[in-house]
Order: sequence, then structure tokens, then C-alpha cells
Amino acid sequence: MKSAKWENIFKGWNHSESKTVVTLKQVPVFKDFSNKEFLELEKLIHHRQYKINDFIFKNRAPGEGMYIIMQGSVKITIGTRNENENILAELEEGDFFGELALFDDEPRSANAIATTDSQLLGFFTQDLMSLQERNPILGQKILFNLGGVLGERLRGTNSLLINSQSSYKE
Amino acid sequence: MEKVQTNYLQLIYRLAIGLITLWFISIIWPFISNVILMLVFAFLFTTVLLSSVDALERKIGNRGFSVLTVVLLLIGGFGIFIGSFISQISLQASEFSNRIDKDTLTQEFKTIGVNLSDSMPAFLQNIISSNDDMAGKLSDLINTIIGSLASMAGAVGNFMFIAAMVFIFTIILLAEYHVFRKSLVNVIPNKYFELGLKLIYNIEKSVSSYLRGQFLSAASVAAMSIAGLLLLNFFGANLTLTFFIGIIAGLANLIPLVGPFVGMVPAILIAFMNNLGNEVALTHTLFGVVPSPFFILDIILMFLIVQQIEGNLITPALVGKSVGLHPMIVMIALLIGGTILGPLGMLFAVPATGVMKVVLLEIAFVRKNAHLL
Repeated sequence: MKSAKWENIFKGWNHSESKTVVTLKQVPVFKDFSNKEFLELEKLIHHRQYKINDFIFKNRAPGEGMYIIMQGSVKITIGTRNENENILAELEEGDFFGELALFDDEPRSANAIATTDSQLLGFFTQDLMSLQERNPILGQKILFNLGGVLGERLRGTNSLLINSQSSYKE
Repeated sequence: MEKVQTNYLQLIYRLAIGLITLWFISIIWPFISNVILMLVFAFLFTTVLLSSVDALERKIGNRGFSVLTVVLLLIGGFGIFIGSFISQISLQASEFSNRIDKDTLTQEFKTIGVNLSDSMPAFLQNIISSNDDMAGKLSDLINTIIGSLASMAGAVGNFMFIAAMVFIFTIILLAEYHVFRKSLVNVIPNKYFELGLKLIYNIEKSVSSYLRGQFLSAASVAAMSIAGLLLLNFFGANLTLTFFIGIIAGLANLIPLVGPFVGMVPAILIAFMNNLGNEVALTHTLFGVVPSPFFILDIILMFLIVQQIEGNLITPALVGKSVGLHPMIVMIALLIGGTILGPLGMLFAVPATGVMKVVLLEIAFVRKNAHLL
């Protein structure tokens, strides 16, 4: 029979990855992180719960950082909820949004609304700045990866623009 | 109509809850006020030391060791300062008592006393001379001294306990600051989440820039005072303990408006003690014109110059208007702080008002942008 005392002493040894770390590992912003770095990051990440149809943020509200969907789903919209709502994207588990707010003080450019009861992870400008102060290597890794993600999105937007221009000419 | 009634009921409900909360706080306040004071101190120390701990953590990569190193350095510095201060003061005191012959001093004071009583109106002289029961007076004096010593020992014990608790709270806060901050942020409702995050950040920024500014200006006052005292010594002021007088002047400078004058007192006392019986010091004149016995006017002038340099050149250049409060508001805050908590209240009045200003600005911002939440 296993002694409860020994179980208690060795609690935490060989512990399995938390769901937060599993979710963070899917996000390209945190790619090439070591397990230790993920644990460091986990300390900074905020857990937020949203009910269905709750606003995560509203268009033109001041933005402070990015969200990662750990559980549930979120839609990104412009326009009011009842009138002329235009859905820009529907996001699922592992997706992230709002990352532009990490770089500038501009207000949010769209609404984010939970489409099911959702659990989100929040990573905010102040957390990034504090990380940059305490662990600049990790901070730089995040900034570099964020640059990569934004570059990829810009390339996507460019090709959409080129496609729409060429289809307009035809 | 129904909606209006609902709002009315809701208002009464909120008012009742508010009143009950206030009543409850007023009951438990005497029991928790000390703990809250300790936490406020610990928070302020944490804010000052946080950037050093973070910077050290960046270098050595371990938060526990960083906290330990910063705290040990702080205790070491403080211990060395207090230790050498006490030994220097006792040296100074024994040197003073050796130099000044007891009988001469008694005679001097007696002469001063006689002169004083001669200059008093006749009815006051009668009151003094009618009280001749010296034995009774002496026993009263001894009782008062014993009573004061006992209450002083109690106060020192209480102070040591509070200091130890503040120290422990500071270590815990420093080690777990980012975790505590996260826990605090997590209780903010979703609707106000990002705003709350920004508010906490702005308060942190405002308090830490204010405190850092204060410490920088205190350090500059200390350095300039030491230089000034050494310069006065060059002209024969015969001042000792210059290093400590400078540091005390720097620390006193942390209390706005009143502090600069408090900082002059030790220097004047030392000048008086060291130059008692020195004819040259007694007849000294400032710039050869204004009589300045014991270099007292020289010292006051030196401190005034230091204050002017600090207030008009150094502080604006180093910290700018970190809190940005109107002087009238600063004075009112100092009066309120001083009334509630004495000198400590005066020390914390301005940063506390600065925090309140940040909170009010953020509330104004929320009210203006309520439709975005």
C-alpha cells in the first residue's frame, strides 16, 4: 500500500502538463519555448471565464492585450449585435486574437463575443513589459514570434488584396 | 413607472449595504488598522525595491536569491548606518561631557536661568520662587522619567514588532509580487477587466515614479548637505557627524514643506555643542556683517541653498512632475495626513493623494467611455 506521506512529499514530481501549457503550446506566438519557459509564462497568463454572448471586448474600447481560447469559441465582429453584424472570423480552441493591442495604444478594431461558454487565457502588455524586464530573452522570443505572426497575416492580407484586384480587372 | 420604482429600491438596497459595510469597518478598524498600516508600508517598500529585485533576477535568473540578496544588502546597509551612528553619537556625547566641565556648564545654565527670570515680569518670578519644595519636585521628576522610560520601552518593543512584520511582509510581497498582482487582477469582473488592469498599472507607475523621485531627491539633498557642511568646516565651523547630519537632512526632506526645516536641527545642535565656550565661534559673523553665533545663520543659509538647488534644479530634472499635484492640494493632504498619522502620515500623504488622483482620472475615463464597456 502506498503511504500518503510519501505521496505528499513527491507531489509535483513528474506532474503532467497543465491544460494551460497544452493550450499555450498550440499558439505560434510561443513556439520554440522550452518547458521551463512555458512554466514561467504560465505564471503570467490570466484565466478568464465568459458566458455565451458575453463581450470579451467591444469595438473602439481601449485594448490591453491578446486572448487565447482554451475552451469554447469566439466570434470577431464589427457592427452592433442586432443590426448589420458582420462576422469577420469564428475562432475555436487554440486560436488567438487581439494581439495587435500588445504593440500599440490604439482602441480595439472589432468586437469579440463568446459564442459558447468559454475559457480564455489573457496575455497583456503589462505582462509582456514585466517579462521583458525580468527575462529579456523570453520577452524577445515572444516579440520575435509575434512579428512573425503579424508578417504572416500581412502576407495573407496582401495576397487577398492582389486576388481581389485581379478579379476586379477581369 | 415600475422601472423607476425598481431603481429606487435598488438605490436604497445599495445605500443600506454601504452603511452596513461602513459600520462593520468602523467596528473592526481598531483591530485591523495596525495590520493595514504594516501592509501599506510593506507595499511601499516593495514598490521601491521591486525594480532592483527584477533587475537582479534578470542577471542571476532566480527570484528567491534576488530577493534574499537585495534584502540582505538593505539590512546590512541599515545596520552599518545605525551602528556607526550610535557609536559616533556616543563618542560625540562623551567628548562633549569631557570637554565641558560639569560645574562650568551648571554655572552657565544657572546664569542663563537667572538672566531669564530677571527679564520675566514680577508675578512670574514670584510663582517660580514660591515653589521651593525641591525634594518633592525631584521625586516627581524621577517618577516622570521612570514612567517615560517604561512607555518608551513599550513603544520601542511595539516599533520593533511592527518593523519585523513589515520586513516579513515586504519579503513575501517581493518574492510573490507578480503572483499577487495576478490574483488581484483575476477578481476583476470581465466587463472592467482590461480597464482594471490599466488602472493597476497606472497606480504602480505613479507610486513607483513618485517614490523613486523622492529617494533620488533625498540622496541629492544628503550629498549636497554633506558637501555644504564640509565647506562650512573649511571656514572653521567645527562640525562633526557631517555624514549623518547629511543623511538625516536627506531623509527629513522626504516630508514635503516641513522636512527641510527639521533637517537643519541636528546641524544647529552639533554646531552649538561643538562650539560652546569657543569665543571665535560665538562672535562669528556671516559675510563679516551679520552676527551668526555658532555659525547658526551660515548653516541655515547653506541648507536653504541646498533646498533651492534640489527643488528648482535637481528634482524637476530627475523626476519631473511625477505626481503632478497642485501645491494647495499637497498642503491640504499634508495637514490631513499629519492629523491622522503624525509624521508618517505626512510622509505618505502625497503618494496616497497621487494614487487617489490616478483612480479618479481612471473613473472619469470610465464614465466618459461607459458605452465601450
